[in-house]
Amino acid sequence: MRSLPFVSLLVFLALCCTPAVSSARERLQVFVTEPYLELHTGAGRGYPVFNVVARDASVQVLFRRTDWFKVRTERGVEGWASQRDMLKTVLADGTPFTFDLGDRAGFTSHRFEAGAFLGVWGGANFVSMYTSYSFNSQLALELSAGNYLGKFTNGVTGDIGLAHVVWPEWRISPFFTIGTGIEHIEPKATLVQPSDRVEQTAYVGAGVRCYLTRRFFVRAEFKSHYIFTNLNQNERADEWKLGFAFFF
Amino acid sequence: METGIRVLLLTVTLAALSGCATVSNWFHHRQEARDEQAQAREDAKRADQSLDDDTTPRVVDPTVERRKITVPKIRSANVELGLDYGAMSIEDFDTNPSYGATLAYHVTEDFFLQAEYGRSKGGKTSFETLGGNIQLLTPAERHFTYYDLSFGYNFLPGEAFIGRGYALSSAFYLLGGIGSVDFAGDQKFTVNFGAGYRVLPSDWLAVHITVQDRVYQSDLLGTTKLTNNIEMRIGTTVFF
Repeated sequence: MRSLPFVSLLVFLALCCTPAVSSARERLQVFVTEPYLELHTGAGRGYPVFNVVARDASVQVLFRRTDWFKVRTERGVEGWASQRDMLKTVLADGTPFTFDLGDRAGFTSHRFEAGAFLGVWGGANFVSMYTSYSFNSQLALELSAGNYLGKFTNGVTGDIGLAHVVWPEWRISPFFTIGTGIEHIEPKATLVQPSDRVEQTAYVGAGVRCYLTRRFFVRAEFKSHYIFTNLNQNERADEWKLGFAFFF
Repeated sequence: METGIRVLLLTVTLAALSGCATVSNWFHHRQEARDEQAQAREDAKRADQSLDDDTTPRVVDPTVERRKITVPKIRSANVELGLDYGAMSIEDFDTNPSYGATLAYHVTEDFFLQAEYGRSKGGKTSFETLGGNIQLLTPAERHFTYYDLSFGYNFLPGEAFIGRGYALSSAFYLLGGIGSVDFAGDQKFTVNFGAGYRVLPSDWLAVHITVQDRVYQSDLLGTTKLTNNIEMRIGTTVFF
């Protein structure tokens, strides 16, 4: 365990040596069609405009951060252009430059989502997070991890399953989930210390997701877990949670 | 219990049926791309044929080749990963060094989600210091391990100037979230809030100074009370 910080440091240093913006890669070139393209000093609406690119001139797109693009002009000046302005540029063949926007259409159809929840698991406080990959606008593979903290038991849960969004185009759209998982149970006892155990679980659930703005949505969810134990009877635990999520 | 299992099976069947109904659409993104390519090929072939069929002599022979544009993938740099080091004041248990790791995802220019994991160690309470050999906790129980899931808001974005030549992007941000702390042989649910200052010496590197308070209900010293555990830390992160 002592070497863990050291290993982390090494990993970090390795990461530092591979900067996010490598120079030897093919860059996209887009052409300005509006009278000019404004370049800001930072990736935010409040940063001042310090340079403009004239109509028909081109810029190289270096990388994107949230809704801003870092671009380099033909003269080598680097600055940040907003997503709204970049939508008005074209590629070398005259076709419009398109990219995924964090808007309502993106909410209906996207590849990945992730979020964090606060909830209740069988009466205990529950903290959890999830990520999902969408095969299409309706069906997604979901991975979630949670930690419940109760008076008598603590535990960690991990689930993998499918989620089916019935009407993805709706702003408030219901979905159903089904899957399996594991649960690591840590009973808290003062006199006799029972040992921790790991059990397999299966769940079915339902929920609602509600689009807020940009890339954000609220997600409320219920899951009914069946815990397969070695005892005479299997256990059941209900999970209720509410959280923020975003798509990308 | 029987009814429960029956309800489970029925729900499973219902979900599976509706899920299977979309199987034909599973890879529709790919199908769409394939259709587009086929369409483009057909268009090109038709254009060639129309050129061949054109028997009237041309005044100008258009020899301009159509440029093929391959659109390289634009790299996103929204994820921030880093390490930090600081001091944690554990209520009743002294202030001690802390270290941790953070992972953040910037969703918009204003908001980000952050996960943190870190460790510190509780010192001696005043009772232990005054009482001689009394030990409230074992050395293993003194480890203070926490994780948080927080929501961040870039409250005051701006620029920091170094002399006349350099301007660095910066932001003062607010943090709030939930998490857990493992201390004194028990794991507790925490609520955290804090604020920090981030400055970016380059596009991919950031330096943070953060102050964060983790609040949880403790019954360790006889009475149940809310404890505040304030941490101040400095860290570096990389964007990728």
